[in-house]
Amino acid sequence: MSSEVLQGLAQASLPTSLLATAIGSFLGLVVGMIPGMTISTGIIIILPLTFVMDPVISIALLLGLYVGGMMGGSFSAILLNIPGTPSASATAIDGYPMAVRGEAGRALGTAIIASFVGGLFSFLCLYFIAPLLAEVALKFHAPDLFSLLFFGLTIICSFAARSLIKGLLSAVIGLLIVTIGMDPVMGTARFTFGQVNMMAGIHFLTAMIGLFAIPQLVENLIALKSGRDVGRAQSGIGSIWPRLQQLKAIAIPISIGSVTGSFLGILPGVGGPIAAFISYDYTKKASKTPATFGKGCVEGIAAPESANNAVTGGALIPMMTLGIPGDPVTAILIGALMIHGLAPGPLLFMERGDFAYSVIFSFFWANIFNLIIALAALRLLIKLLATPKALLMPTIAILCVIGSYALRNNLFDVYVMFSFGLLGLAMRWLDMPVVPLLLAMVLGNQLEEHLRVALIGSQGDVTVFFTSPVSLFFLCLSGLSIFWSLYTGKGNKDKQ
Amino acid sequence: MKRRNIAAACVLLAIAVGYGYQTALLPARTLPNTPDPSFFPWINTILLGVLSFALLIQAVLWSNDERVMEAQQASVPAIVALGLFLLYLVAIPFFGFVLSSVPFFALFMVLHNERRKLWLLIGAVGIPIFLYNLFKHIFGVSLPRGIFLGLLG
Repeated sequence: MSSEVLQGLAQASLPTSLLATAIGSFLGLVVGMIPGMTISTGIIIILPLTFVMDPVISIALLLGLYVGGMMGGSFSAILLNIPGTPSASATAIDGYPMAVRGEAGRALGTAIIASFVGGLFSFLCLYFIAPLLAEVALKFHAPDLFSLLFFGLTIICSFAARSLIKGLLSAVIGLLIVTIGMDPVMGTARFTFGQVNMMAGIHFLTAMIGLFAIPQLVENLIALKSGRDVGRAQSGIGSIWPRLQQLKAIAIPISIGSVTGSFLGILPGVGGPIAAFISYDYTKKASKTPATFGKGCVEGIAAPESANNAVTGGALIPMMTLGIPGDPVTAILIGALMIHGLAPGPLLFMERGDFAYSVIFSFFWANIFNLIIALAALRLLIKLLATPKALLMPTIAILCVIGSYALRNNLFDVYVMFSFGLLGLAMRWLDMPVVPLLLAMVLGNQLEEHLRVALIGSQGDVTVFFTSPVSLFFLCLSGLSIFWSLYTGKGNKDKQ
Repeated sequence: MKRRNIAAACVLLAIAVGYGYQTALLPARTLPNTPDPSFFPWINTILLGVLSFALLIQAVLWSNDERVMEAQQASVPAIVALGLFLLYLVAIPFFGFVLSSVPFFALFMVLHNERRKLWLLIGAVGIPIFLYNLFKHIFGVSLPRGIFLGLLG
């Protein structure tokens, strides 16, 4: 092991870091299991607390929440048939029938074990693949980096949107927003309308708080008023330990889920829900008893749960090595790192290798704590499902204000946050995904910078993007992702 | 969805025109072989224009005209909540974080069907004060005190 690996392990294993990871895991489990609360919302609420923390502690807390949230989502899916997070949707298919049959405990136990194994597998992928990928990425030049970022944007538009046009529009709106403020190459003020507050641009974390939290608040209120609010979970769950026969049965589904989830997690925009459903489908096809699926079988819980937790480690790979977020949560993590003056990307491994490895090992600890807390405090966590929304929702609203204010101690950011909340609502109303917009806001400045630097370097010759093999490869992938979207009917989805 | 898409496409086309106009006003740089600060915004303008037009065409030719009744019925509490939030944000610079948060929190709780007076009192007063002190003393973030409280010193 290199000294950086050992330093990273030591930093992640400090008592303060471990405590932060454990608290994060607990909060993640709570946030994940409460229907109507997403992991993104949970992280946004916690985010302002991390501004003053040491970066290692701050990222340990957020990673704990990320990993815990993924597992927590399955609890309400199994007990209430309402997935706490979209990633747990596939878990409900077999989890809830098991709970109805009186085997809620075993279903939860299976979900916990599968999540743990999936998370651990993706940690290994992260540990071994991330440094190698970072080394390769260090050799990229401006045209390659532009094409890579362009690919990141197009693939997320292809995956995240039901309609390709709306996905692309969402990304372009994000690119429009990042042009507000100083231009990244020459420092010229653009679209500031003489406002001093606009000079620094729109911080994407402010935008993110509004885009995710405000529509969430409104949706929860609408659900409450229209009588769609969730009921209470059953208190008696029975034994949580799966039988030996069940443990044997989940070995292959967990393997399928772990591999599928880790691989799909690397692709920006795929996310937990798609990975969970794909691994569920594969497992069903590979099963000798496919007819039992959907009626409450442990394999149907193990596959999606291992997959959605494996996505977390997979999504951290492009975030850590290329600076490309795989999902909204990793986009927030990038923001959290930037606040501490750390830019995720290949240089992170070269310049702050100790920190990069501390992130990887914090992810490992998050999975360990997740397992321990979930098993030890399962009954307490289930009681928390009954948290009164009347207290929770106004608290979230106030924390949105605090979070956006604390970023730069400026009320202007609070108004920006609210404006983005309205934009988020409008986008939901139009069935337009917010994730491409968010990714465009994260990557937009770099995209413009690399584009312009590449053109300056080539004396304005655009063929530079096609003569570099790496750049050409990513441009071809971008074209393929758009073509795939059109081929699968997303281009005209609205006509259906 | 058809009407919504047409409306969205028209709004986005208008934004593309406005953005393009503002882009045209950006200062030009005369350095040789250097893309202007307006270079990237022009790309955005074209992309936004083309995609908005594509959305318009798609909406006119293919979208169906389904109506989402549920969203319309439930829009009143949503509008009330957003109005309340806006009022809260307007009040903060004048009354400060704590004084503005108390009535906002209480009204938001009422909006979520909470009627118990003790709970309302504990939630609306206790949570904002707790958060204010948490951020001030533990995290070193001073939340706005407001013009009126500021005048009192």
